[in-house]
Amino acid sequence: MTDRRGSLELIGPVLALALAGIVGSTGFVDPALENEFKGALVSVAIVVALYVFVGNSGVVSFGHVSFVAVGAFAAGVMTVPVALKPTITPGLFAFLGEHSVGNLASLALAAVLGGLFALVVGIPLMRLSGLAAGIATFAVLGVTYNILNNWEKIGPGPLTLTTIPETTGLLQATIGAIAVVAVAFAYQRSRYGRKLRASREDPAAARAAGIDIHRERLWAFALSGALSGLAGGLLVHLAGTLQARDVYLDLTFLTLAMLVVGGVGSLWGAVVGALAVSALDSFLLRAESGEVGFVDDLLGKPLWGGSRLVGVALFMAVVLVFLPQGLTRGREFHLPRLGRRRAVAQESSA
Amino acid sequence: MLEVSGLEVRYGTVPAVRDLDLSVGRGEIVGLIGPNGAGKSTTLHAIMGAVRPSAGDIRLAGSSIRGRAPEQVVRAGVALVPEGRRIFTELTVEENLRLGLAGRRSKDGSAEALERVYELFPVVHESRSRHAGLLSGGQQQQLAIGRALVGEPDVLLLDEPSLGLAPTVVDTVFGALLAIRAQGVTILLVEQRAQRTVALADRTYVMSNGELRMTLGPGDAGDSRRMVEAYFGSS
Amino acid sequence: MTDDVQTLVDAVALGSIYALMAVGIGLVFGVLRLVNFAYGQLIMAGAYALALTNDQPVLLSIALCFAVVLALSLALELAAFRPLRRASPTTMLVATFAISYLLQSIALVKFGAIGKIVVVVPKLSEPVTIGGVHIRWITIMTIIVAVLVFAALMVLLTKTTIGLHMRAASIDPATARLLGVRANAVITAAVLVSGVIAAIVAVILPMAVPERLLVGPDFALRETIIVLVGVVVGGIDRLLSATLGGFTMGVAVGLLSGYLPSSGAWPFTSSVYLDSAVFMLVIIVLLIRPEGLFVRGRHAALERV
Ligand SMILES: Nc1ncnc2c1ncn2[C@@H]1O[C@H](COP(=O)(O)OP(=O)(O)O)[C@@H](O)[C@H]1O
Ligand SMILES: [Mg+2]
Repeated sequence: MTDRRGSLELIGPVLALALAGIVGSTGFVDPALENEFKGALVSVAIVVALYVFVGNSGVVSFGHVSFVAVGAFAAGVMTVPVALKPTITPGLFAFLGEHSVGNLASLALAAVLGGLFALVVGIPLMRLSGLAAGIATFAVLGVTYNILNNWEKIGPGPLTLTTIPETTGLLQATIGAIAVVAVAFAYQRSRYGRKLRASREDPAAARAAGIDIHRERLWAFALSGALSGLAGGLLVHLAGTLQARDVYLDLTFLTLAMLVVGGVGSLWGAVVGALAVSALDSFLLRAESGEVGFVDDLLGKPLWGGSRLVGVALFMAVVLVFLPQGLTRGREFHLPRLGRRRAVAQESSA
Repeated sequence: MLEVSGLEVRYGTVPAVRDLDLSVGRGEIVGLIGPNGAGKSTTLHAIMGAVRPSAGDIRLAGSSIRGRAPEQVVRAGVALVPEGRRIFTELTVEENLRLGLAGRRSKDGSAEALERVYELFPVVHESRSRHAGLLSGGQQQQLAIGRALVGEPDVLLLDEPSLGLAPTVVDTVFGALLAIRAQGVTILLVEQRAQRTVALADRTYVMSNGELRMTLGPGDAGDSRRMVEAYFGSS
Repeated sequence: MTDDVQTLVDAVALGSIYALMAVGIGLVFGVLRLVNFAYGQLIMAGAYALALTNDQPVLLSIALCFAVVLALSLALELAAFRPLRRASPTTMLVATFAISYLLQSIALVKFGAIGKIVVVVPKLSEPVTIGGVHIRWITIMTIIVAVLVFAALMVLLTKTTIGLHMRAASIDPATARLLGVRANAVITAAVLVSGVIAAIVAVILPMAVPERLLVGPDFALRETIIVLVGVVVGGIDRLLSATLGGFTMGVAVGLLSGYLPSSGAWPFTSSVYLDSAVFMLVIIVLLIRPEGLFVRGRHAALERV
């Protein structure tokens, strides 16, 4: 693969995201849809962050939402206006209760904390692989959730954190998602990323070639943790409220499924999976509320309530069962060959 | 009885067996020899339905068994003694034998079939309630053959049954093959011990690099030049 | 002292339930190499069947519970496990994750988020006093049922032909098939036995665990997670070690929740941090013995770098 063709692979994901941002912001669509677009872009950020580790290392992690959670709680707690903290989160440590930071600083903090947490957790855990790695990372998620859900000195505990500034606009969501994709792309084409991918294909050969798999996995895990933290920051500033439950099992499942639906093996797969599942989700939601004309015409009434949940789950289950390699089959984006396109054009003009 | 024609098997894109024809007549012992990696085990696995051939046909008593699952091929009357014996070491000897009954077409006569195996291999009978992992290599090989026989197959395939056995034990195993044939079972014997195989078998095919090289008769066993040629390729 | 005995008996009962679930998960893993995250939703379906038939005779209600769980088990095997048979373990796990989510969504849409009360045999929830210790009938029943199930399973696995085939298929599926063991029959048998156990748990759980008196979409989900963790920690590729892993988790959870105070300002100081304590232990165990706590020798289904 030549370098030039290689960097073309980035075009697909970036164009898709930019397009999502532009379409969402212009009058093409119902302005009420804007939130759906923002949500889809934040999903892309989370799924690509997850992909940085899972896709490149070939080791599954069920614990990535821990880092999203840490980022979300850090960004959320640190941006609630100081004046409101005594009522919303009265139990906070003094140094948390008496300070707040701006939007960008909170995102940076989310990324740093997510990365550090992943680094600390990864040092022992990256020695594991297979099911043991899956369960151990899941246990990390269990601990994170349990503490965030109860410890009132660092957050709202079992309550809901509210009055978080909703600063994740369409522009920020788009830039955030593209930034995460760009970092992921740069990483997978760097020396480190290539070493890790080599160890995914053939661990024994990689080790024989002098690759320290533990260290390479750890770098990927920490980077992926930092990106997850950032994505968590975007998520919390999109929603404006936060509960520990929001960043636990459902999100873990949803993001993993998006990744597997798109195809674990490629960045393009992560982007496609997140966008496809988000799109289906939004479509079904609107069809349920009677906002999609042709569904109403077809059924004579809106889609029955709850179709969205069942539809999304069914879609993911079907793709996972019948297309285990995902929609992109683990391939990166590539432009259709010019020659073929011309041939098609001739055919259709004839 | 067993007829393989034009068989080709690929792992990925690399063919492990190419355009292979062989046939085993009813009541015959036919040998199949060749160096490591020649494609002998692959041929047996293709007959059993454990790997899918990319071309060719496999016929048993005239009807094609190509494309059937292993459990169906066994029920059609073919049994395999796999390379490396594949004994279930955590199960008892008797449980291993009972597993062989899985492939029987009818449950009647199971007890008699077990009896016949115990008669053929007294050591198996003596150790029937012990864990199979406690048996010696030779005893495990006898168990593996017995396990294939309790299904009362028409055709018995053996994959290197003498592998890793002491010479006296090899005698026992080869002796048993004659006794088995005497019970009317057709045998296809894959081996590395070329000389003994050629001497025992009615006919012996020589394979290398996935292809059939030549066919030897019992008389060739003493012909060391032909044997060497068989192994290292003729001009 | 009597409190200690009470806590211990309760913990053993919880361990018995978890051990039952561990066996159910372990049986299917043995023959399919598939970690079934959707196992809890089979139990959920059974519990809904009970809750919706509270006004029917108990035996009818229980029979219905078994029918629903077994039908759903078979449907999962045909529609999902069979096509997945050649997929990687991770894909399989994520796929069963998706199925679990699907079943939860269906339950949510059909029955709503608010739990339905399950009434099986109210009398069993009453305590008896033995030597000053108050123990509920259901606690005793749970332990007895678990012992009976394990005895029956032992007989099935060691004394019957299908049991022998199941054991062989979980040790070496390729060789078992070459001997004529029917893969589909063995898998169907394992899925059915696993389903029977799920149905038994569905009957017991609402009575035995007070927080499970109501059945909602996420019924038995927490139990499934803890049991799955326990199964891997114990050693998933052996039925016995998987079961011991589940049992140990149940006893540990039971004892910790019995002894930790119910409130505290710092993590790990109260029973609300029970899950953290359990998961931390799990991480430590996995780091020390990634192949499983109760696995002897080199049978490592889980490799490490
Ligand atoms: N499962 C497999 N996957 C890929 N290649 C295989 C597999 N089994 C055998 N081969 C290859 O096929 C060829 C024939 O192997 P085999 O049939 O085992 O030979 P033999 O039994 O004569 O020693 C060898 O080159 C071997 O490496
Ligand atoms: Mg061989």
